Amino acid sequence: MIEGPPSSEPAEVRLKDLRVSDVPVQIVARIVSVERREYSRPADGRRRSFLTGLLSDGTASVRFTWWEPPNDEVDRGTIIRAQNVQVREYQGRPEVSFSFRTRVAPAGPADLPKVDSEEVPFRTISELQSRSEGFRLEARVLRVGPKVVTVGAEQRQVYEGILGDGTGLVAFSSWSDFHLAPNEAIRIAGAYVRTFRGRPQLVLDETSIVARIDPGRLPPIEALLPSAPRSLARLEAAGGSESAVVEGLVVALLPPSGLVYRCPTCRRPVSGGLCSQHGAVKGVADLRARLVLDDGTSTVTLNIDRPMTESLWGVTLDEALERLRRSPDPSLLESSLADEVVGRRLRARGRVFPDDFGLNLYPESVEPVGVELDERAKELRNRWEAARGAA
Amino acid sequence: MALREPAWRTFAAELNAAMQEERGTGERAATYLLSPYGARMNRVLLAGTLSSPETIGKDPAQPFWRARLVDPTGTISVTAGAFQPRAMAQLQSVQGPRTAMVVGKVHLYRGNDGTAYISVRAESLRTIDELTLRALYADALSQSFDRLELVGRLATDPNLPDDRFDGAPTAWVRAARDSVRRYPTVDRAGYRAALKGVLEVVEGTHAVLPPPAPTPTHVRITSSEPPAAAPRAAPSAEERAHESAFLDVLDELVDNSSDGYADLKELVQRLAEHGLSAEMAEELLDRLQEDGVVEEPIVGRLRRA
Repeated sequence: MIEGPPSSEPAEVRLKDLRVSDVPVQIVARIVSVERREYSRPADGRRRSFLTGLLSDGTASVRFTWWEPPNDEVDRGTIIRAQNVQVREYQGRPEVSFSFRTRVAPAGPADLPKVDSEEVPFRTISELQSRSEGFRLEARVLRVGPKVVTVGAEQRQVYEGILGDGTGLVAFSSWSDFHLAPNEAIRIAGAYVRTFRGRPQLVLDETSIVARIDPGRLPPIEALLPSAPRSLARLEAAGGSESAVVEGLVVALLPPSGLVYRCPTCRRPVSGGLCSQHGAVKGVADLRARLVLDDGTSTVTLNIDRPMTESLWGVTLDEALERLRRSPDPSLLESSLADEVVGRRLRARGRVFPDDFGLNLYPESVEPVGVELDERAKELRNRWEAARGAA
Repeated sequence: MALREPAWRTFAAELNAAMQEERGTGERAATYLLSPYGARMNRVLLAGTLSSPETIGKDPAQPFWRARLVDPTGTISVTAGAFQPRAMAQLQSVQGPRTAMVVGKVHLYRGNDGTAYISVRAESLRTIDELTLRALYADALSQSFDRLELVGRLATDPNLPDDRFDGAPTAWVRAARDSVRRYPTVDRAGYRAALKGVLEVVEGTHAVLPPPAPTPTHVRITSSEPPAAAPRAAPSAEERAHESAFLDVLDELVDNSSDGYADLKELVQRLAEHGLSAEMAEELLDRLQEDGVVEEPIVGRLRRA
């Protein structure tokens, strides 16, 4: 007689195969995001905490709720094996919940299901949505660079950049070094999508698989990165862009602009001699400008750093400080900057993202633009004649 | 979400043809002016010849300045007060006539007779050269054509769904839809014809602008179009006569007073000489206050709002 697995230990299920059922399952997954919340137990009104977040095993991601969790913090990125997990459905998607019957134990990357990169479907960038997972993607690396981030007490190197495939652009962030270089064409499997600052971001980690493919399969880098300006209304409707070119008139200068003081350690603005992180500090003078660019359809706030501010204003930081010594009123500096920039026609390139007040752009480049008057006059004359012909 | 309002590229004639004001809902809601040509404007960008400003405030603590901006389609008032100190300083520095661009908020005041007074409260203002003006006109003309096309398509087929206007901002499609609905009788060909003058400036075949007319002491901008929706039943001839008597006496008392206010008691007494009872005077005062013509900032002391 062949013995099956004991009934108390059901077989491991991949997240993409989860089905709502009364039979508990066993899963291995990585905690992608986690948040501790509280509720009052109706029986005695006592506050209890529970964890909620997102689990992923490379095949799919599901929401989880962990009742009566450990008191210690559970870190994002932890891989766990959970037995006796209940599968339920919420708004048409399966969800899992851990109760007192569930056994949760740590696991390692080797325990995660091997995602066969030939098995998952292809997606294009335009098809990616937040929480997309279990797909393959072919794209060209448009930008990539290392960045050091602080995770808890630890410093970690991540690689950030932009991918393009002709259907759109997406930012990526890789926790693992795949030695990516600009212009390479790659096939990615085992990545997932999260929302970062209001925009989707592709996340790659140790379990992701990156393969180089024939660069001829994708449009060249010049065709993937936009060169013509897009209307701000369209960018707003699209929720921003990883890399866009915008053009418009500067209609206002927003505070804080002009001369500002920053914390020498973290560069945060200093207010009343205090940094929000480092307490009393001696602020370091800097220049910045927040310009409202308007193209008649919508607006975008350009956040301009010191070199760009100096070049648009025609006044260097040293000259600004010298002016302040001569007439100690910082608002004069701001109005001088406003006089110089308001009404200018500018073109800017960079990542455009929305917040509660509209679109924002930290430009990679800003340049004054001219208008081809003869060309535009011809175009307008043609439209005028066409409209008259139609009427 | 308190999204910043874009500056609609437009011309004086479009603002002057706009009669429909809309208030958004909620706290600090913005006010919009709906034009017959497809624009729902809160903020606008205009360019043209700006006259020297004149001060129109009576109260020295609340300075208020006004200038006239002329473009090839018409004339519009540009104002700036103490709440826009930078714009006011810029406006005061204009020794007109000068070519200038103005970004500001549209402001509609409807007089008692239903006449719309439209002005632009400047937020920023600067003098520009001819090439800059031509470029600004090119932008505004191109966007005006876009909007008129939307209005034209919707006038022909009002049931076209929003997704049939590829590339047009959703806000423009909605504004065009409302323009068609709220101004069913407006002839848009006249505006198109007025835009020809703008086109000629862009082409450089037309001298920039005609010299502005001398500044009148009072700018009264009226529209040739009747208001699409009358705010209320038109007052009878008798009511009009009473109102004008009331305002005449009020002005006379204000002119003769030392503090710029008319005394209510005195006003009622004087109105009795015109055959108006105290009751009728009260009624008139209520109505004029409601219409924003007269105000009573101090109890018993009146002035024009």
